Amino acid sequence: MPYHQFKCSECIPERLKHAVDKGAGEELTDALPLGYLNTIPGTISERGCAYCGAKHVIGTPMKDAIHLSHGPVGCTYDTWQTKRYISDTGCFQLKYTFASDMKEAHVVFGAEKMLKKNIVEAFKAFPNIKRMTIYQTCASALIGDDINAIAEEVMSELPDVKIFVCNSPGFAGPSQSGGHHKINLAWLTQMVGTVEPKIYSKYVINYVGEYNIQGDQEIMKDYFHRMGIQILSSFTGNGRFDDLCGMHRAQLNVLECARSAEYICDELRARYGIPRMDIDGFGFEALSDSLLKIGYFFGIEDRARAIIAEETARWKPELDWYAARLKGIKVCLWPGGSKLWHWAHSIHKEMGVEVVSVYTKFGHQGDMEKGISRCESGALAIDDPNELEALEAMYSLKPDIIFTGKRPGEVAKKIRIPYLNAHAYHNGPYKGYEGWVRFARDIYNAVYSPIHKLSFIDISKDEIPADKGFATQQTYSDAGLPDAVKNDENLRKCTSKYDPIPDLREKTYSFPDPDTEKWRVIPNEELSRKNSGTE
Amino acid sequence: MDKNTATEKMKQLEWYITKHCLWQYNSRGWDREIQNERILKKTKQILCGENARDDDSYADRYYWSEAITLVEAFKKYFPWVEEMTKEEIAAVMHLLKEKMDYTMIKGSLNLELTKEKY
Repeated sequence: MPYHQFKCSECIPERLKHAVDKGAGEELTDALPLGYLNTIPGTISERGCAYCGAKHVIGTPMKDAIHLSHGPVGCTYDTWQTKRYISDTGCFQLKYTFASDMKEAHVVFGAEKMLKKNIVEAFKAFPNIKRMTIYQTCASALIGDDINAIAEEVMSELPDVKIFVCNSPGFAGPSQSGGHHKINLAWLTQMVGTVEPKIYSKYVINYVGEYNIQGDQEIMKDYFHRMGIQILSSFTGNGRFDDLCGMHRAQLNVLECARSAEYICDELRARYGIPRMDIDGFGFEALSDSLLKIGYFFGIEDRARAIIAEETARWKPELDWYAARLKGIKVCLWPGGSKLWHWAHSIHKEMGVEVVSVYTKFGHQGDMEKGISRCESGALAIDDPNELEALEAMYSLKPDIIFTGKRPGEVAKKIRIPYLNAHAYHNGPYKGYEGWVRFARDIYNAVYSPIHKLSFIDISKDEIPADKGFATQQTYSDAGLPDAVKNDENLRKCTSKYDPIPDLREKTYSFPDPDTEKWRVIPNEELSRKNSGTE
Repeated sequence: MDKNTATEKMKQLEWYITKHCLWQYNSRGWDREIQNERILKKTKQILCGENARDDDSYADRYYWSEAITLVEAFKKYFPWVEEMTKEEIAAVMHLLKEKMDYTMIKGSLNLELTKEKY
């Protein structure tokens, strides 16, 4: 695999080893892009910082805690709500954001007193919330405020509250990935083992590296609960603070985003003997394999097979309707970290799209190993591209669509390439069988959007065709389709509801008692719906 | 089965793992050695009809779960797997283990594999 020389980066020779063309017959041992290195001077990276990785990716999806940044208000505000990590208890974590609002005077004279006042004020303002996470920022780290000491002081004065402190300032690593690492280990060291959780099932997992983007966690939770598996904790989407303090009592760590959460799984394995099982929640086949192996672990593979059969029968005809119309679509798969390998093979195999490029903004070489392995020959793999490189790649590869974040996504739209939000989604959830169909529908709607087609007309010089009437997505997608496919009664468009999550929250589930093994219904209220410390 | 045939079959199994599995990608070299060793050994044992359970520990259940799922997939994708003798299976799986160890560990260009801590 030769390194890929971007013309725009010839003046930055260090960039050469960050991009590779995957050639036919070549292997990972031939070439692998460098990764997780400090951003090279002269190249404008699109990464986040280590504070952002700790707080906004991992800490904040926790649903029943006040998440407070000890720093200038911009640290919190500027990335607030860029993710849609919803919760089943009203999304407190999305509605409210907290900062101690450090100013110049605090930098000169210290901000500890002000922080303490803020913590107490926040707890008073939200009396139903008894847990807090505090995040160090560049400003508070540089002046050396002792956040842990302040937290201890508050906890001794307010004995019903618990506070977790994460010291991961923005400069604590090359990218947000440095923050993932720090908060993983900080949570493990400070919090895990401090709560003895209630075990109500014979089968108990931690669901790790899952952030409940538009309900992903709740879709997967439905499958696990139908198998009779208790999700002891969810790290961290839709997760409760106290449940996450009891992670040490699970029998298995089921890991989705290894990039952001493998550290805590590895340490839980080393310290508590809990195995780490990496899974894919995306794609029919990969998800089925994942449910099956979890089933095998607990000896309940028949329950997994029943779910796989039921869900596949329900949703496969809808996936296939889109697959017939997406075949050959060229995609740049440019997410942040893990989705390049979660999606690369499944979208090719199950939707027929061609992945012409994979990139990661903050992934490590391990992510590239997975991504390059799972995409096909001819793809361009890029680590931490700058904006000019991304533009050059789009001009040369001519993709039909980009899956990426909203900042590079808007750049793509400017050159008339549609994008789907790979981080926060457009119309997710995308996990699960139903979610995968929703993803296919979003791709279809983006690629064949009549509005997008109109964007290619330059009204200052192009003639506006007056002989063509109104067009729909299907006008374009079905133009070259054989009649047999167009009229296939076994295929149908997506019938998923606008929001499928509320119905899931009303379902009841049975679990086998850990001692008697007798199956009985556990009421919804007991399934992680109450705020920690208020039971 | 001659070596070329065994190598050809090994490449097919490797292709499946490459596209579908995640267990081979732990971030540290020592973890990758353990994963390859235990999962591929149990895979071979199951394919050969041997006992693949060492005990009922969570760790052993995990490696076995990965292996039994892999065996099911191998049989679905490659029906020839069920037509091989035990000796042939052992030979192909030996080549597969060598190849996985080389690609994922010994020949890997991933600079993080030698880090001493998680």
